Amino acid sequence: MAAQFGTPDPQATRRDPIYQPPDNIAKILVIPALVGCVVALTIGLYGKLHHATGIAVNIAGFSSPGSVKAWLATVAAVLALVQIGSALVMYGKVPRVSAPSWIGGLHKWSGRIAFIATVPVAVHCVYALGFASYSTRVLIHSILGCLFFGAFTVKMLVLPKRGVPGWVLPVLGAVVFAALILIWFTSAYWFFSTFGIKR
Amino acid sequence: MKLRSPIITLLTGAVLAIGLWIASLNAATSATTAYGKPATPTPTTAPTVPAATASPSPAVTPSPSSAAASPTPSETGSGGFVIPDHANYVGPVQAGGGAIAITLHDKIAIAYYCNGKTIEEWMKGVPAHGHLVLTGKNGAHAEVNYALGHARGQVHVDGFSYTFSVIAVHKPSGLYQSIAVVRGATVKAGWIVLADGTEVGSIELDPNAAAPKAQAAPQLDTTSLTADDGGVTLHATPIDGETGSGF
Repeated sequence: MAAQFGTPDPQATRRDPIYQPPDNIAKILVIPALVGCVVALTIGLYGKLHHATGIAVNIAGFSSPGSVKAWLATVAAVLALVQIGSALVMYGKVPRVSAPSWIGGLHKWSGRIAFIATVPVAVHCVYALGFASYSTRVLIHSILGCLFFGAFTVKMLVLPKRGVPGWVLPVLGAVVFAALILIWFTSAYWFFSTFGIKR
Repeated sequence: MKLRSPIITLLTGAVLAIGLWIASLNAATSATTAYGKPATPTPTTAPTVPAATASPSPAVTPSPSSAAASPTPSETGSGGFVIPDHANYVGPVQAGGGAIAITLHDKIAIAYYCNGKTIEEWMKGVPAHGHLVLTGKNGAHAEVNYALGHARGQVHVDGFSYTFSVIAVHKPSGLYQSIAVVRGATVKAGWIVLADGTEVGSIELDPNAAAPKAQAAPQLDTTSLTADDGGVTLHATPIDGETGSGF
Protein backbone atom coordinates (compact mmCIF):
# COMPACT_ATOMS: atom_id res chain seq x y z
CA MET A 1 0.00 0.00 0.00
CA ALA A 2 2.87 2.35 0.77
CA ALA A 3 4.40 1.46 -2.56
CA GLN A 4 1.14 2.25 -4.27
CA PHE A 5 1.44 5.83 -3.14
CA GLY A 6 5.17 6.17 -3.57
CA THR A 7 5.31 5.17 -7.20
CA PRO A 8 3.05 6.71 -9.80
CA ASP A 9 0.95 4.23 -11.69
CA PRO A 10 2.69 3.63 -15.07
CA GLN A 11 -0.52 2.88 -16.97
CA ALA A 12 -2.29 5.98 -15.76
CA THR A 13 0.74 8.10 -16.55
CA ARG A 14 0.86 6.76 -20.09
CA ARG A 15 -2.79 7.53 -20.65
CA ASP A 16 -2.85 10.88 -18.91
CA PRO A 17 0.59 12.25 -18.29
CA ILE A 18 -0.49 15.37 -16.48
CA TYR A 19 -4.19 15.72 -16.15
CA GLN A 20 -6.57 13.15 -14.69
CA PRO A 21 -10.05 14.15 -15.88
CA PRO A 22 -12.70 14.11 -13.16
CA ASP A 23 -14.97 11.66 -14.97
CA ASN A 24 -12.15 9.13 -14.86
CA ILE A 25 -11.92 9.49 -11.09
CA ALA A 26 -15.68 9.12 -10.92
CA LYS A 27 -15.46 5.92 -12.97
CA ILE A 28 -12.93 4.49 -10.55
CA LEU A 29 -14.91 5.39 -7.45
CA VAL A 30 -18.52 4.89 -8.50
CA ILE A 31 -18.66 1.09 -8.29
CA PRO A 32 -16.95 0.84 -4.87
CA ALA A 33 -19.15 3.65 -3.57
CA LEU A 34 -22.31 1.95 -4.81
CA VAL A 35 -21.27 -1.41 -3.35
CA GLY A 36 -20.52 0.33 -0.05
CA CYS A 37 -23.98 1.91 -0.07
CA VAL A 38 -25.55 -1.47 -0.75
CA VAL A 39 -23.63 -3.02 2.16
CA ALA A 40 -24.63 -0.24 4.57
CA LEU A 41 -28.26 -0.30 3.45
CA THR A 42 -28.43 -4.10 3.61
CA ILE A 43 -27.18 -4.12 7.19
CA GLY A 44 -29.48 -1.29 8.21
CA LEU A 45 -32.59 -2.63 6.51
CA TYR A 46 -32.03 -6.17 7.72
CA GLY A 47 -31.48 -4.83 11.22
CA LYS A 48 -34.68 -2.81 10.99
CA LEU A 49 -36.95 -5.32 9.27
CA HIS A 50 -35.67 -8.52 10.87
CA HIS A 51 -37.52 -9.34 14.07
CA ALA A 52 -34.83 -8.90 16.72
CA THR A 53 -34.47 -12.16 18.58
CA GLY A 54 -32.48 -11.09 21.63
CA ILE A 55 -30.55 -14.31 21.08
CA ALA A 56 -27.51 -15.03 18.95
CA VAL A 57 -24.47 -17.26 19.20
CA ASN A 58 -22.35 -16.53 22.23
CA ILE A 59 -18.63 -16.86 22.83
CA ALA A 60 -17.54 -18.97 25.77
CA GLY A 61 -15.56 -17.47 28.64
CA PHE A 62 -17.43 -14.21 29.04
CA SER A 63 -20.22 -13.31 31.41
CA SER A 64 -22.62 -12.08 28.74
CA PRO A 65 -22.87 -11.31 25.02
CA GLY A 66 -22.57 -7.67 26.00
CA SER A 67 -19.16 -8.11 27.58
CA VAL A 68 -17.89 -10.19 24.65
CA LYS A 69 -18.93 -7.45 22.30
CA ALA A 70 -17.47 -4.71 24.47
CA TRP A 71 -14.09 -6.43 24.58
CA LEU A 72 -14.01 -7.27 20.87
CA ALA A 73 -14.96 -3.68 20.09
CA THR A 74 -12.19 -2.48 22.39
CA VAL A 75 -9.68 -4.69 20.56
CA ALA A 76 -10.86 -3.19 17.28
CA ALA A 77 -10.68 0.37 18.65
CA VAL A 78 -7.12 -0.11 19.92
CA LEU A 79 -6.11 -1.58 16.56
CA ALA A 80 -7.80 1.39 14.89
CA LEU A 81 -5.39 3.65 16.77
CA VAL A 82 -2.56 1.49 15.40
CA GLN A 83 -4.12 2.02 11.98
CA ILE A 84 -4.08 5.80 12.28
CA GLY A 85 -0.53 5.80 13.68
CA SER A 86 0.86 3.52 10.98
CA ALA A 87 -0.97 5.44 8.26
CA LEU A 88 0.50 8.75 9.47
CA VAL A 89 3.98 7.20 9.44
CA MET A 90 3.45 5.77 5.94
CA TYR A 91 2.40 9.16 4.65
CA GLY A 92 5.42 10.77 6.30
CA LYS A 93 3.24 12.90 8.55
CA VAL A 94 5.15 12.08 11.72
CA PRO A 95 8.16 14.38 12.09
CA ARG A 96 11.56 12.69 12.32
CA VAL A 97 10.08 9.20 11.75
CA SER A 98 10.80 7.54 8.45
CA ALA A 99 8.55 4.63 7.53
CA PRO A 100 10.19 1.33 8.41
CA SER A 101 9.84 -1.55 5.95
CA TRP A 102 7.37 -3.41 8.15
CA ILE A 103 4.94 -0.50 8.56
CA GLY A 104 2.83 -1.60 5.58
CA GLY A 105 2.52 -5.10 7.03
CA LEU A 106 1.61 -3.67 10.45
CA HIS A 107 -1.07 -1.47 8.84
CA LYS A 108 -2.55 -4.31 6.80
CA TRP A 109 -2.58 -6.88 9.59
CA SER A 110 -3.83 -4.58 12.35
CA GLY A 111 -6.61 -3.57 9.95
CA ARG A 112 -7.49 -7.13 9.06
CA ILE A 113 -7.60 -8.23 12.70
CA ALA A 114 -9.62 -5.18 13.69
CA PHE A 115 -12.14 -5.83 10.90
CA ILE A 116 -12.48 -9.52 11.76
CA ALA A 117 -12.97 -8.58 15.44
CA THR A 118 -15.88 -6.30 14.54
CA VAL A 119 -17.76 -8.92 12.50
CA PRO A 120 -19.07 -11.11 15.36
CA VAL A 121 -20.07 -7.94 17.24
CA ALA A 122 -21.96 -6.63 14.25
CA VAL A 123 -23.71 -9.94 13.61
CA HIS A 124 -24.91 -10.00 17.21
CA CYS A 125 -26.02 -6.37 17.00
CA VAL A 126 -27.91 -6.80 13.76
CA TYR A 127 -29.35 -10.23 14.48
CA ALA A 128 -30.18 -10.04 18.18
CA LEU A 129 -30.82 -6.34 18.69
CA GLY A 130 -31.56 -4.83 15.28
CA PHE A 131 -31.43 -1.25 14.07
CA ALA A 132 -32.89 0.65 17.01
CA SER A 133 -33.58 4.27 17.85
CA TYR A 134 -34.88 4.27 21.41
CA SER A 135 -32.17 6.62 22.61
CA THR A 136 -29.71 9.03 21.01
CA ARG A 137 -26.83 6.74 21.84
CA VAL A 138 -28.50 3.76 20.24
CA LEU A 139 -29.57 5.69 17.15
CA ILE A 140 -26.07 7.10 16.58
CA HIS A 141 -24.63 3.64 17.15
CA SER A 142 -27.03 2.01 14.67
CA ILE A 143 -26.36 4.56 11.95
CA LEU A 144 -22.59 4.50 12.40
CA GLY A 145 -22.55 0.71 12.48
CA CYS A 146 -24.05 0.64 8.99
CA LEU A 147 -21.76 3.46 7.85
CA PHE A 148 -18.67 1.69 9.18
CA PHE A 149 -19.14 -1.47 7.12
CA GLY A 150 -20.18 0.50 4.06
CA ALA A 151 -17.13 2.77 4.29
CA PHE A 152 -14.82 -0.15 5.01
CA THR A 153 -16.15 -1.95 1.92
CA VAL A 154 -15.52 1.13 -0.20
CA LYS A 155 -11.98 1.41 1.13
CA MET A 156 -11.20 -2.25 0.44
CA LEU A 157 -12.61 -1.99 -3.08
CA VAL A 158 -10.72 1.24 -3.84
CA LEU A 159 -7.38 -0.03 -2.46
CA PRO A 160 -6.36 -2.24 -5.41
CA LYS A 161 -7.49 0.29 -8.03
CA ARG A 162 -4.98 2.25 -10.07
CA GLY A 163 -5.11 5.98 -10.67
CA VAL A 164 -6.94 6.80 -7.46
CA PRO A 165 -6.42 10.43 -6.40
CA GLY A 166 -4.22 10.80 -3.34
CA TRP A 167 -6.93 12.18 -1.08
CA VAL A 168 -9.34 9.27 -1.47
CA LEU A 169 -7.73 6.67 0.79
CA PRO A 170 -6.94 9.08 3.65
CA VAL A 171 -10.53 10.34 3.56
CA LEU A 172 -11.98 6.82 3.49
CA GLY A 173 -9.60 5.74 6.23
CA ALA A 174 -10.59 8.72 8.35
CA VAL A 175 -14.30 7.96 7.90
CA VAL A 176 -13.78 4.31 8.86
CA PHE A 177 -11.66 5.31 11.86
CA ALA A 178 -14.02 8.02 13.09
CA ALA A 179 -17.04 5.72 12.71
CA LEU A 180 -15.36 2.91 14.62
CA ILE A 181 -14.26 5.16 17.48
CA LEU A 182 -17.73 6.68 17.80
CA ILE A 183 -19.24 3.21 17.65
CA TRP A 184 -16.92 2.20 20.47
CA PHE A 185 -17.92 5.22 22.55
CA THR A 186 -21.62 4.55 22.03
CA SER A 187 -21.32 0.86 22.93
CA ALA A 188 -18.27 -0.50 24.72
CA TYR A 189 -17.50 2.73 26.60
CA TRP A 190 -21.15 2.96 27.57
CA PHE A 191 -21.15 -0.72 28.58
CA PHE A 192 -18.05 -0.45 30.73
CA SER A 193 -19.16 2.78 32.38
CA THR A 194 -22.64 1.38 33.06
CA PHE A 195 -21.81 -2.14 34.22
CA GLY A 196 -18.14 -1.76 35.17
CA ILE A 197 -15.11 -3.19 33.46
CA LYS A 198 -15.73 -6.90 33.62
CA ARG A 199 -15.11 -10.00 31.62
CA MET B 1 -7.71 -11.92 -12.61
CA LYS B 2 -6.23 -12.85 -9.28
CA LEU B 3 -7.93 -11.65 -6.13
CA ARG B 4 -6.33 -8.71 -4.39
CA SER B 5 -5.72 -8.97 -0.66
CA PRO B 6 -8.29 -6.26 0.31
CA ILE B 7 -10.92 -8.27 -1.54
CA ILE B 8 -9.84 -11.37 0.38
CA THR B 9 -10.19 -9.38 3.62
CA LEU B 10 -13.73 -8.37 2.65
CA LEU B 11 -14.69 -11.87 1.62
CA THR B 12 -13.28 -13.33 4.84
CA GLY B 13 -15.40 -10.91 6.84
CA ALA B 14 -18.47 -11.69 4.75
CA VAL B 15 -18.01 -15.45 5.13
CA LEU B 16 -17.51 -15.06 8.89
CA ALA B 17 -20.62 -12.89 9.11
CA ILE B 18 -22.71 -15.38 7.16
CA GLY B 19 -21.40 -18.27 9.26
CA LEU B 20 -22.27 -16.49 12.50
CA TRP B 21 -25.63 -15.46 11.07
CA ILE B 22 -26.50 -19.09 10.28
CA ALA B 23 -25.30 -20.14 13.74
CA SER B 24 -27.49 -17.42 15.25
CA LEU B 25 -30.48 -18.64 13.24
CA ASN B 26 -29.98 -22.06 14.82
CA ALA B 27 -29.43 -20.59 18.29
CA ALA B 28 -32.64 -18.60 18.13
CA THR B 29 -34.75 -21.35 16.56
CA SER B 30 -34.90 -23.41 19.75
CA ALA B 31 -36.53 -20.53 21.61
CA THR B 32 -39.00 -19.69 18.86
CA THR B 33 -40.11 -23.27 18.19
CA ALA B 34 -40.68 -23.81 21.88
CA TYR B 35 -42.81 -20.70 21.86
CA GLY B 36 -44.72 -21.79 18.73
CA LYS B 37 -45.57 -25.15 20.26
CA PRO B 38 -46.20 -24.30 23.86
CA ALA B 39 -47.40 -27.72 24.97
CA THR B 40 -44.42 -29.64 23.60
CA PRO B 41 -41.11 -29.16 25.29
CA THR B 42 -38.26 -29.39 22.81
CA PRO B 43 -36.42 -32.60 23.64
CA THR B 44 -33.02 -31.32 22.56
CA THR B 45 -32.90 -28.52 25.08
CA ALA B 46 -34.58 -30.33 27.93
CA PRO B 47 -33.18 -33.79 28.62
CA THR B 48 -34.87 -34.05 32.02
CA VAL B 49 -38.45 -33.43 30.96
CA PRO B 50 -38.90 -36.30 28.48
CA ALA B 51 -37.20 -38.61 30.94
CA ALA B 52 -39.72 -37.72 33.59
CA THR B 53 -42.88 -37.75 31.49
CA ALA B 54 -42.32 -40.32 28.75
CA SER B 55 -41.55 -43.99 29.36
CA PRO B 56 -37.81 -44.49 29.11
CA SER B 57 -36.83 -45.96 25.76
CA PRO B 58 -33.56 -47.82 25.22
CA ALA B 59 -32.33 -45.12 22.92
CA VAL B 60 -32.55 -42.48 25.61
CA THR B 61 -29.95 -42.75 28.35
CA PRO B 62 -31.04 -40.39 31.08
CA SER B 63 -28.51 -39.60 33.77
CA PRO B 64 -29.33 -41.16 37.18
CA SER B 65 -30.04 -37.79 38.76
CA SER B 66 -32.54 -36.69 36.12
CA ALA B 67 -34.28 -40.07 36.15
CA ALA B 68 -34.63 -40.01 39.91
CA ALA B 69 -35.88 -36.46 40.10
CA SER B 70 -39.44 -36.48 38.83
CA PRO B 71 -41.25 -33.24 39.74
CA THR B 72 -38.28 -31.20 40.90
CA PRO B 73 -38.92 -27.49 41.27
CA SER B 74 -36.04 -26.67 38.97
CA GLU B 75 -33.92 -28.08 36.20
CA THR B 76 -30.43 -27.39 35.06
CA GLY B 77 -30.23 -25.55 31.77
CA SER B 78 -27.70 -26.17 29.03
CA GLY B 79 -25.41 -23.44 30.30
CA GLY B 80 -25.22 -24.97 33.78
CA PHE B 81 -27.77 -22.50 35.13
CA VAL B 82 -30.56 -23.69 37.37
CA ILE B 83 -33.85 -22.91 35.64
CA PRO B 84 -36.67 -22.30 38.12
CA ASP B 85 -40.27 -23.27 37.43
CA HIS B 86 -41.64 -20.60 39.75
CA ALA B 87 -40.10 -17.16 39.94
CA ASN B 88 -40.76 -13.43 40.06
CA TYR B 89 -38.31 -11.01 38.50
CA VAL B 90 -38.65 -7.25 38.70
CA GLY B 91 -36.41 -4.35 37.95
CA PRO B 92 -35.96 -1.18 35.96
CA VAL B 93 -35.28 -1.32 32.25
CA GLN B 94 -32.28 0.51 30.88
CA ALA B 95 -32.34 4.05 29.56
CA GLY B 96 -34.83 5.17 32.22
CA GLY B 97 -37.75 3.64 30.35
CA GLY B 98 -39.72 2.30 33.28
CA ALA B 99 -39.82 -1.10 34.91
CA ILE B 100 -40.64 -4.68 34.03
CA ALA B 101 -41.98 -7.58 36.05
CA ILE B 102 -41.74 -11.15 34.80
CA THR B 103 -43.48 -13.86 36.75
CA LEU B 104 -43.56 -17.51 35.86
CA HIS B 105 -45.47 -20.36 37.31
CA ASP B 106 -45.08 -23.77 35.66
CA LYS B 107 -46.19 -23.39 32.04
CA ILE B 108 -47.40 -19.80 32.17
CA ALA B 109 -45.43 -16.61 32.27
CA ILE B 110 -46.93 -13.15 32.78
CA ALA B 111 -44.96 -9.99 32.26
CA TYR B 112 -45.91 -6.41 32.81
CA TYR B 113 -44.06 -3.41 31.46
CA CYS B 114 -44.93 0.01 32.74
CA ASN B 115 -43.33 3.44 32.86
CA GLY B 116 -45.55 4.71 35.67
CA LYS B 117 -47.28 7.00 33.24
CA THR B 118 -48.97 6.51 29.91
CA ILE B 119 -47.27 3.39 28.66
CA GLU B 120 -47.92 -0.05 30.03
CA GLU B 121 -48.42 -3.49 28.59
CA TRP B 122 -49.41 -6.90 29.85
CA MET B 123 -47.76 -9.81 28.09
CA LYS B 124 -48.13 -13.55 28.24
CA GLY B 125 -45.83 -16.34 27.23
CA VAL B 126 -44.69 -19.88 27.78
CA PRO B 127 -41.48 -20.60 29.67
CA ALA B 128 -39.19 -22.90 27.70
CA HIS B 129 -36.20 -23.97 29.76
CA GLY B 130 -34.65 -20.61 30.39
CA HIS B 131 -36.06 -18.89 27.33
CA LEU B 132 -39.25 -16.97 27.20
CA VAL B 133 -41.07 -15.02 24.53
CA LEU B 134 -44.04 -12.97 25.69
CA THR B 135 -46.57 -11.15 23.58
CA GLY B 136 -49.16 -8.52 24.34
CA LYS B 137 -51.49 -6.12 22.59
CA ASN B 138 -50.39 -3.78 19.79
CA GLY B 139 -47.35 -5.86 18.91
CA ALA B 140 -45.81 -5.55 22.35
CA HIS B 141 -43.43 -8.39 22.99
CA ALA B 142 -40.47 -9.36 25.10
CA GLU B 143 -37.70 -11.89 24.81
CA VAL B 144 -36.25 -13.09 28.07
CA ASN B 145 -33.50 -15.43 29.17
CA TYR B 146 -33.93 -16.39 32.81
CA ALA B 147 -32.26 -18.53 35.41
CA LEU B 148 -32.30 -18.86 39.18
CA GLY B 149 -31.94 -15.36 40.56
CA HIS B 150 -31.94 -13.24 37.44
CA ALA B 151 -33.49 -12.60 34.07
CA ARG B 152 -32.38 -10.49 31.16
CA GLY B 153 -33.72 -9.61 27.76
CA GLN B 154 -35.49 -6.99 25.74
CA VAL B 155 -39.00 -5.62 25.82
CA HIS B 156 -40.57 -3.89 22.83
CA VAL B 157 -43.47 -1.61 23.69
CA ASP B 158 -45.05 1.24 21.78
CA GLY B 159 -42.29 1.29 19.17
CA PHE B 160 -39.46 1.35 21.69
CA SER B 161 -37.08 -1.38 22.75
CA TYR B 162 -35.63 -1.57 26.23
CA THR B 163 -32.92 -3.89 27.44
CA PHE B 164 -33.16 -5.13 30.99
CA SER B 165 -31.24 -7.22 33.45
CA VAL B 166 -33.38 -7.83 36.52
CA ILE B 167 -33.29 -9.90 39.66
CA ALA B 168 -35.58 -12.41 41.35
CA VAL B 169 -37.59 -10.96 44.22
CA HIS B 170 -39.95 -12.15 46.92
CA LYS B 171 -43.02 -10.49 48.43
CA PRO B 172 -43.77 -7.71 49.05
CA SER B 173 -41.70 -6.90 45.96
CA GLY B 174 -43.27 -8.21 42.78
CA LEU B 175 -46.22 -7.70 40.50
CA TYR B 176 -49.76 -6.70 41.49
CA GLN B 177 -52.88 -6.34 39.42
CA SER B 178 -56.32 -4.91 39.99
CA ILE B 179 -59.31 -5.28 37.71
CA ALA B 180 -62.43 -3.51 38.85
CA VAL B 181 -65.52 -1.73 37.64
CA VAL B 182 -65.28 1.86 38.73
CA ARG B 183 -68.05 4.35 37.90
CA GLY B 184 -69.44 1.94 35.35
CA ALA B 185 -66.18 1.45 33.50
CA THR B 186 -63.70 -1.36 33.79
CA VAL B 187 -60.29 -0.31 34.97
CA LYS B 188 -57.21 -2.46 34.97
CA ALA B 189 -54.26 -1.41 37.06
CA GLY B 190 -50.81 -2.88 37.45
CA TRP B 191 -48.07 -2.18 39.95
CA ILE B 192 -44.47 -3.28 39.93
CA VAL B 193 -42.91 -3.12 43.38
CA LEU B 194 -39.14 -3.08 42.99
CA ALA B 195 -36.66 -4.73 45.33
CA ASP B 196 -36.10 -1.45 47.20
CA GLY B 197 -39.84 -0.94 47.69
CA THR B 198 -40.27 1.62 44.91
CA GLU B 199 -43.60 1.29 43.14
CA VAL B 200 -44.19 1.81 39.45
CA GLY B 201 -47.83 1.57 38.47
CA SER B 202 -50.18 2.44 35.66
CA ILE B 203 -53.91 2.20 35.30
CA GLU B 204 -55.89 1.52 32.12
CA LEU B 205 -59.24 3.24 32.10
CA ASP B 206 -60.63 1.16 29.25
CA PRO B 207 -58.58 -2.04 28.96
CA ASN B 208 -60.81 -3.52 26.25
CA ALA B 209 -60.15 -0.69 23.80
CA ALA B 210 -57.83 -1.40 20.92
CA ALA B 211 -55.35 1.13 22.24
CA PRO B 212 -56.04 1.49 25.95
CA LYS B 213 -55.16 4.80 27.53
CA ALA B 214 -53.10 4.60 30.67
CA GLN B 215 -52.17 6.99 33.44
CA ALA B 216 -50.24 6.83 36.68
CA ALA B 217 -51.84 4.42 39.14
CA PRO B 218 -52.69 5.46 42.69
CA GLN B 219 -50.29 4.36 45.42
CA LEU B 220 -50.69 0.67 46.32
CA ASP B 221 -50.54 -0.40 49.94
CA THR B 222 -48.83 -3.79 49.73
CA THR B 223 -49.98 -4.73 53.25
CA SER B 224 -53.69 -4.21 52.76
CA LEU B 225 -53.48 -4.74 48.95
CA THR B 226 -55.61 -1.69 48.33
CA ALA B 227 -55.21 1.54 46.47
CA ASP B 228 -57.36 4.62 46.71
CA ASP B 229 -58.40 5.79 43.24
CA GLY B 230 -60.15 9.09 43.86
CA GLY B 231 -62.30 7.75 46.70
CA VAL B 232 -62.83 4.31 45.15
CA THR B 233 -60.86 1.50 46.74
CA LEU B 234 -59.13 -0.77 44.26
CA HIS B 235 -58.34 -4.27 45.50
CA ALA B 236 -55.14 -5.70 44.11
CA THR B 237 -54.11 -9.30 43.63
CA PRO B 238 -50.49 -10.30 43.72
CA ILE B 239 -49.35 -12.04 40.56
CA ASP B 240 -46.91 -14.29 42.26
CA GLY B 241 -45.12 -17.07 40.43
CA GLU B 242 -43.95 -18.59 43.68
CA THR B 243 -47.43 -19.17 45.13
CA GLY B 244 -49.34 -19.25 41.83
CA SER B 245 -51.54 -16.37 42.95
CA GLY B 246 -53.07 -14.57 39.98
CA PHE B 247 -52.24 -17.33 37.48
